Amino acid sequence: MSRREPEELPLSPDRPLDRDVADELAFHLAQRQAELVAQGWDPAAARQEAERTFGDVQRVTDECKEITARTRRARRRADAWQAVRQDLRFAARLLRKSPGFTAAAIVTLALGIGANTAVFSVVNGVILQPLPYDGADRIVTVRETHANGWGDLAYANFLDVRDQSRSFEAMAEYASGLLTVLGADEAVRVRVAAVTADFFRVFGVQPFSGRFPAPDEHRESAAPVAVVSYGFWQTYLGARTDLAGTTLRAARTYDVVGVLPPGFDYPAATDIWIPLELESQPMSRTAHNSAAVGRLGPDASPDIARWELDGILQRLGGLFAEDFDATGAEVIRLQDQLTGSMRRPLFLLLGAAGVLLLAACTNLAGALLARGTTRQPELAVRAALGAGRERLVRQLFAEGMLLALMGAVAGVVVALVMLRVLLVLAPGTLAGVDAAGLDGWVLGFTLLVALATAVLFGLFPALRISANDPGTALREGGRTGAGPRRQRVWSLLVATEVALAVVLLAGTGLLLRSFWRTISVDPGFTAGGVLTVEINLPQLVYDTNEQAIVYYDRLLAELAAIPGVERAGVVNVLPLGGSMPNGLTEAEGKPITREDFADAVQAVYRLASRDYFAALGVRLVQGRTFDGGEGPGSRHVVVVSEAYAANAWPGETPIGKQMRPAGMDPVEEEPFATVIGVVGDVRAWSLTDEADRPTYYYSYRQRPYRIRSMTAVVRTVGSPAAVVGQVRDALRAIDPNVPVTFRTMDQRVAASLANQRFTLVVLGTFAALALVLAAVGIYGVVSYAVAQRTREIGIRLALGATPGSVRREVQGRALTAVAAGVAAGLVAAVALSRLLASLLYDVQPTDPLTIALVVAGLAVTAYVASWAPAWRGTRIDPVLAIRAD
Amino acid sequence: MTLIKGTLDVLILKTLSWGPTHGYAISRWIRRTTGDALQVEEGALYPALRRLEERRWVTSVWRRTDSGRDARVYTLTAAGRRQLHTEESAWRRYVAAMARVLETRPAEALG
Repeated sequence: MSRREPEELPLSPDRPLDRDVADELAFHLAQRQAELVAQGWDPAAARQEAERTFGDVQRVTDECKEITARTRRARRRADAWQAVRQDLRFAARLLRKSPGFTAAAIVTLALGIGANTAVFSVVNGVILQPLPYDGADRIVTVRETHANGWGDLAYANFLDVRDQSRSFEAMAEYASGLLTVLGADEAVRVRVAAVTADFFRVFGVQPFSGRFPAPDEHRESAAPVAVVSYGFWQTYLGARTDLAGTTLRAARTYDVVGVLPPGFDYPAATDIWIPLELESQPMSRTAHNSAAVGRLGPDASPDIARWELDGILQRLGGLFAEDFDATGAEVIRLQDQLTGSMRRPLFLLLGAAGVLLLAACTNLAGALLARGTTRQPELAVRAALGAGRERLVRQLFAEGMLLALMGAVAGVVVALVMLRVLLVLAPGTLAGVDAAGLDGWVLGFTLLVALATAVLFGLFPALRISANDPGTALREGGRTGAGPRRQRVWSLLVATEVALAVVLLAGTGLLLRSFWRTISVDPGFTAGGVLTVEINLPQLVYDTNEQAIVYYDRLLAELAAIPGVERAGVVNVLPLGGSMPNGLTEAEGKPITREDFADAVQAVYRLASRDYFAALGVRLVQGRTFDGGEGPGSRHVVVVSEAYAANAWPGETPIGKQMRPAGMDPVEEEPFATVIGVVGDVRAWSLTDEADRPTYYYSYRQRPYRIRSMTAVVRTVGSPAAVVGQVRDALRAIDPNVPVTFRTMDQRVAASLANQRFTLVVLGTFAALALVLAAVGIYGVVSYAVAQRTREIGIRLALGATPGSVRREVQGRALTAVAAGVAAGLVAAVALSRLLASLLYDVQPTDPLTIALVVAGLAVTAYVASWAPAWRGTRIDPVLAIRAD
Repeated sequence: MTLIKGTLDVLILKTLSWGPTHGYAISRWIRRTTGDALQVEEGALYPALRRLEERRWVTSVWRRTDSGRDARVYTLTAAGRRQLHTEESAWRRYVAAMARVLETRPAEALG
């Protein structure tokens, strides 16, 4: 057998696949032909014979190509993986060699990545995750737009819209309120929602147990039925599977027919749902008593639905011009509406976490660069030995990647801790925040952040270090001086860190100033020393207004008798509790004509008792308050706020003037009331609300409508906590079945600030971390610069320079970079401040005091951080320094 | 007589166990050694070679031969050599077993 040893001229094994196969087969055929010719065949016949014995050339070609293509793909993957593993092993070895650096890097990254993960998990839980309803993105709220804002879709309009619109699969109205309910294990005060027939269909929900009210139970004459929440069923109904005979009593007695599945929570915190149609609904098209939700059909979008509803409402407006105030419709995805107020702060915090991460990356880029520089000789040797630049970059990058991944793991731990803190701080209004946790989305996000991090802090130094000419590095023997180009890179890193810290600090400063402004607002009352008690009289027991009046009269007398109680009063809605109800009033000298409400004073309506003002510390400006003897039949009297007086009767004495609400309650002919006193303005909705919302107060005895829910206000001599026991005893003595809730007024004020405080604390924490990172970065860079310049400094000292002048020179370079960073940061902060503007109260985004404080804070930090290493650098012995190499 | 499935792989590995060579040399060797008794369509050799390459039993490289043409030269890998041993002994056992069966007389079988 002749075996030909191939001649050694290696060619690329990676010749193109087509040629790889074709050449091999052609070689075979040519050889075979030659062999036959040598045996005496005619060349053409030999060729034919060769092809005959070979078989189907085309088929073999195809088969070979397929196999080798597959092989090559697999090899490439395996090679890449192999290279990655090699690089990672190499990086791991390097990192193990310097545990201090590694630990510091991981901690830095863990803070940055952890902050991002924690905030993202809140954003994810609150905003990104769909509501837990089937087809949640098709559930919308529907409102009317009015000339001056918006209002709930009037019931009469709802009926027409529901019948005429094609955009909706289902549409429903609901109204909700707190009610005291008997019939469960105890008397409880719960949120009850009265809903129209298709309400549950809008949410695509099925009963957990039992059934939903049938269509014919949504009628005025129907037997009352109710559906309860899973939580209510568990807590108060003993989780009975057989609901037959279970009834709840409020205004009527309701048969409980069904239980909703856990997780169904609309309207928020509702425990009982009853048919709205049981009560006759006002058919006025300006009665905005209930709100509308809808489920869009498969082809409809909110925009299409709004466009359709605009048309319907405008047609209705033409028909009912006398009694119509809608100008169009507003259709908003339920999810967007629920998260509306926290959207901006949360995205702001996510952005802030991103900035913090950038600062961490910049820091690490500097540290890796410094490490890389001291490793220059080693890299130069490797490069000289033939390691390609690509390979060096890859290895340096692998180091960054490995750090980032470890940072991500540690970051998840940090995030879990941060999340716990966030959940404690989070305002109660943050729907879905308890759903925030580390799910697949969040972990995916973390991984993405880690990868981006590795690119940011790993790739840049990798490219820079490997770009250095190996020859120079070898000649210098690792004593790489602080050349001008290198100096620029360091300055850039310092400036970047400082700029990022400035952005966060400026944002925090503005929020802090805003917070300060908010809490220094004079709310028009004195919160300290005030206990509030929310009272909710069961309608079943307190059926008539007179019964309620008797209860409050007795309550006020008992409370006033408690030692330690200075004054006690009641009010329907406390300040900070909202601006509803409000409505139009007719003030003396400003008659309201039917077509034109321009003269009417829009005002907040309050019911109060005689001592309410004194108890809450609302200033009595003129006249007097109620005497406690008012009644529905006696002459009507009213106390108005300063803003009301200023609006209704500018420049005149308000005492003795007449006014009346414009048709709010079921009173045949609303009598005019005489103004007997003027009190100071209070903030109705929040501390940052308008200071001067016109308000008028009636005695609860004179207009005893909707007074089953009132709040008692008790001013105490000492601490409010000290009298809680006695107040509770007094309430029990009057009627133990009335549910009550205690809170101090200070707690209410604090709760109203929860949103602001949350944003402030989180952003402040990020800013503090960024400042620390900047300080560490400056310290590190100056230390490094001093170390690199040891010899030069030694020479200068030997030549007679004073340590002070050298220190100043070293520090000066760093501080120049800091100054540039501060300037850049301020420009960025001002540019970004419009994102903050809507969160600020009474502070300009370019607030000079904030800017001055930020600049001063950074200047001090930078000076301190650069002083120590610069000082240490001048403490060297010149002789040793010069001999150092 | 046609080739039993799987036999071709063993033949290739065996050929390569004497040293690296190209596909044509392998086919010629098979043709001559088996005395044309095994009728292999010569083309079938090449996909088989590439499958062996896929399984890492052989590697290949392009080399210039003394005839001046490029040939794809195959080399047996360590894994390929192990595979050859496995298959060789399997074949020997198989052949021995078949031989015993074919040489058995009915009396012995009923024995």
